[in-house]
Amino acid sequence: MAKDVIRQKINDAFLRRALKNFAAAYPVARARAFEGLDFEELRGRISAFKQAGLRDLPELVARFTASAEKAGAMVHLCATPEEANRTIHGIIAAKGADFLVKSKAMTSEEIELNHYLEERGVRCLETDLGEWIIQLAGERPSHMVMPAIHKNREDVAELFSRATGRECPPDIPQLVRVARETLRSGFLAGQVGLSGANVAMADSGAIGIITNEGNGRLVTTLPRTHIALIGVEKIVPSLAEALDVIDILPKNATGQKITSYVSFIKGPTGGEGRELHIVLLDNGRLRLAADPDFSEALKCVKCGACANVCPIYEIVGGHVFGHIYVGGIGLVLTPFFHGFDKAEEILKLCIGCKKCNEVCASKIDIEGLIVDLRDKVRKPVGQKFLFGTLMKNRKLFHAALRAAYLAQKPFQGEGGRIRHLPLILNRETANRSLPPIAEKPFRDIAHEDNSKPKTQNSKREKVLFYSGCLADFVFPEMCRDTVTSLETLGYEMSFPQKQTCCGIPARYSGEMEVARDLARINTDVLLEEEADYVVTICPTCTMSLRHDFPKLLSADPAWREKAERLAAKTFNFSELAARKIPPIPPLSKGGAEGGGISVTYHDACHLKRGCGVYEEPRRVLTELVGAEIREMADCDKCCGFGGSYSIKYPEISREVLKNKMENIAATGARTVAVDCPGCKLQIEGGLEAAGAGIAVEHSATLLARRLGACRT
Amino acid sequence: MVEQFTTAAEAVGAEVKRFPTMNEAVNAIRTRAAGRAVAASALPPPVRSALDGLDFVPADALHTAEIGLSFAQAGIARTGSLLLALSDPAGRSATALPPVHLVILDAATIVADLSALGTTLGALLSSPGSAYLSLITGPSRTADIERVLTIGVHGPKELQILIVEEN
Repeated sequence: MAKDVIRQKINDAFLRRALKNFAAAYPVARARAFEGLDFEELRGRISAFKQAGLRDLPELVARFTASAEKAGAMVHLCATPEEANRTIHGIIAAKGADFLVKSKAMTSEEIELNHYLEERGVRCLETDLGEWIIQLAGERPSHMVMPAIHKNREDVAELFSRATGRECPPDIPQLVRVARETLRSGFLAGQVGLSGANVAMADSGAIGIITNEGNGRLVTTLPRTHIALIGVEKIVPSLAEALDVIDILPKNATGQKITSYVSFIKGPTGGEGRELHIVLLDNGRLRLAADPDFSEALKCVKCGACANVCPIYEIVGGHVFGHIYVGGIGLVLTPFFHGFDKAEEILKLCIGCKKCNEVCASKIDIEGLIVDLRDKVRKPVGQKFLFGTLMKNRKLFHAALRAAYLAQKPFQGEGGRIRHLPLILNRETANRSLPPIAEKPFRDIAHEDNSKPKTQNSKREKVLFYSGCLADFVFPEMCRDTVTSLETLGYEMSFPQKQTCCGIPARYSGEMEVARDLARINTDVLLEEEADYVVTICPTCTMSLRHDFPKLLSADPAWREKAERLAAKTFNFSELAARKIPPIPPLSKGGAEGGGISVTYHDACHLKRGCGVYEEPRRVLTELVGAEIREMADCDKCCGFGGSYSIKYPEISREVLKNKMENIAATGARTVAVDCPGCKLQIEGGLEAAGAGIAVEHSATLLARRLGACRT
Repeated sequence: MVEQFTTAAEAVGAEVKRFPTMNEAVNAIRTRAAGRAVAASALPPPVRSALDGLDFVPADALHTAEIGLSFAQAGIARTGSLLLALSDPAGRSATALPPVHLVILDAATIVADLSALGTTLGALLSSPGSAYLSLITGPSRTADIERVLTIGVHGPKELQILIVEEN
């Protein structure tokens, strides 16, 4: 993505305010809309019937076509945008019409219908207020549900003044009145009306349209010919499934329980001379539906919730974060609808926080699909050496990291802190900034400790410590605190020297083969030594060992079995610590350090959404550390780090961090507790630069201090 | 259920009035519509004849009407929604073009939620021929400029629901 475009969006004060206000208001409205309903159950049901529908999509298309035709509609299945455009133009031309009145249809944006028709002398009028605004501005929607969220009242007033030839003041109710009066004649004059549809029912051949403004009813009522342009994935078996979609969509889209208008249209109404044409758009959908890896993307009901909660969308908006379809799912659909060349840059914009997965109306693993798609696009120069040669050879990789300690010295001071160390070795990022690598990594400290005689206690549960590269090479003291605190709580700790990178940086860069190799290496290393548990202090590593290894190695049964065995005994630090509540022996009250402090807790994306762990860290802090937690707003929203993301997109990362720091400051706590070395690096860097005087500590450090204080 | 319906409908900006008999509801409409151009969708014959004398506009001049009249098939208590089954485009226009929309709702037809309306909707959609069903919840609205909620963009600015609690 062009840096100047990103910078322009970041500096657009109105856009930033609009998106920030929306990001704050949306979760509140959404929660209210879902009150008394079981969201998980509802979306689970939608996910199931959508996925089943995709398996026999051609069959659903055939059934819908037969039912709709029986009801009197004419159905046109179009394979390409060109074919759909030509079909629609043909219908309009057959009516001798030169004017099309439209209600909102993302499919129309997808095939760039207006452009096609205008070139052939057919005037198009968008009547959805937001769509009309962007039509007048000659732009494309920046949100699937709120297309003109990036325009302020002054922009709109200027556009309306130009369109109507009279001065329109920047007053919202007045502007809405201008739209009503101006567009009314369009409805009445329209010979042909075009709509989209939110759902189509195979049993009855009816389509469902959800709107708020009332233009949808007018467009499908006043003109004698109605064309509905619908993606084939919108077809569901029957009304029961359609009602689930209608139930969830407005709640997830705008936090409304239901929209002002929900219309079910079956066949042409009004008798002689009235026509209903249903143009079913394929444009790669039927192929995608049969794709074993990516079909899931078509479960999307186009509610836009993935954009609503995305921390990156909140900073840059839909003109950067997406192509025609925006938000997380827009990134996924773009390569299939518009080609991989259009998707290459935008796929990199996802920070991997998984917030979208949490709200998706059809339970799509949006973030996972984005990561998997990166495997299919062109890789940057230098990446092949980094991952292919360096990362797969642990000794070489670690030697390079040690060399980086020396190399960083002349440049140390201000600057970039990255989590996934390998990328500092990449030419693309090498000239940006270097992380502060420790003089002695934890692996050397652990090696020296291991050579000292140790009392073995066979009664203790044995834990292998998988530290992750960042903690090992940048935060060795954090690793020490982990070992100290878990030993004090009664575990026996061991650090396997042959462990290496978990492979996430490779996977996130689309190097699946390298990620697979690293998964095999680590699985062997961590299963070699008998142990009850494997503990990690980096949530990304936890997620990788628990979820990614079995997935990456699933093709080979023997490897899969090993990976699953490893996954089953892998835990995050807070989970293992929380198992020792209440601690034996009990902690003395009010130690000099640790006890009695106030902290605010930042949930790491990959711990909360990647591993489903968010209660244990809080229990460790309150019941073991003895701290009081002052919860911050959006405690589980990304800090903006995302490993190499903060190096690739430093401007975006910085803005996401600013939001986090504001929420931290508002709690008044002087310490931020985290369970992720990456979050610590990012948040600490930001707070230090701002001179906030607020410390950021891993829970392991807070716990080690507390236990140390209690012992003395 | 009428209470819940009323609360939900008022929450989205509809005006709700309750009447013990159909006659009283019809009288209220007569008072409101007197001297104004009225567009009506299909009404039960007794209701229509009780409204004789109002200024009904012809089918080709529906856009000149100030008030639209309709009769709902059902209501949804949870959301304050109305079901209108209007397969005739002129009848639909009568509920979509005028700035004011008055709807009569029989209290006995109110159901709990959208899924409880499934059977009714299913029956209407599976009967032969074409159909156009609308669920209407509150007046027309938009938030497309700066997300500021504004009422009455293309559809009616005012939605008045007259609930009849006969029997």
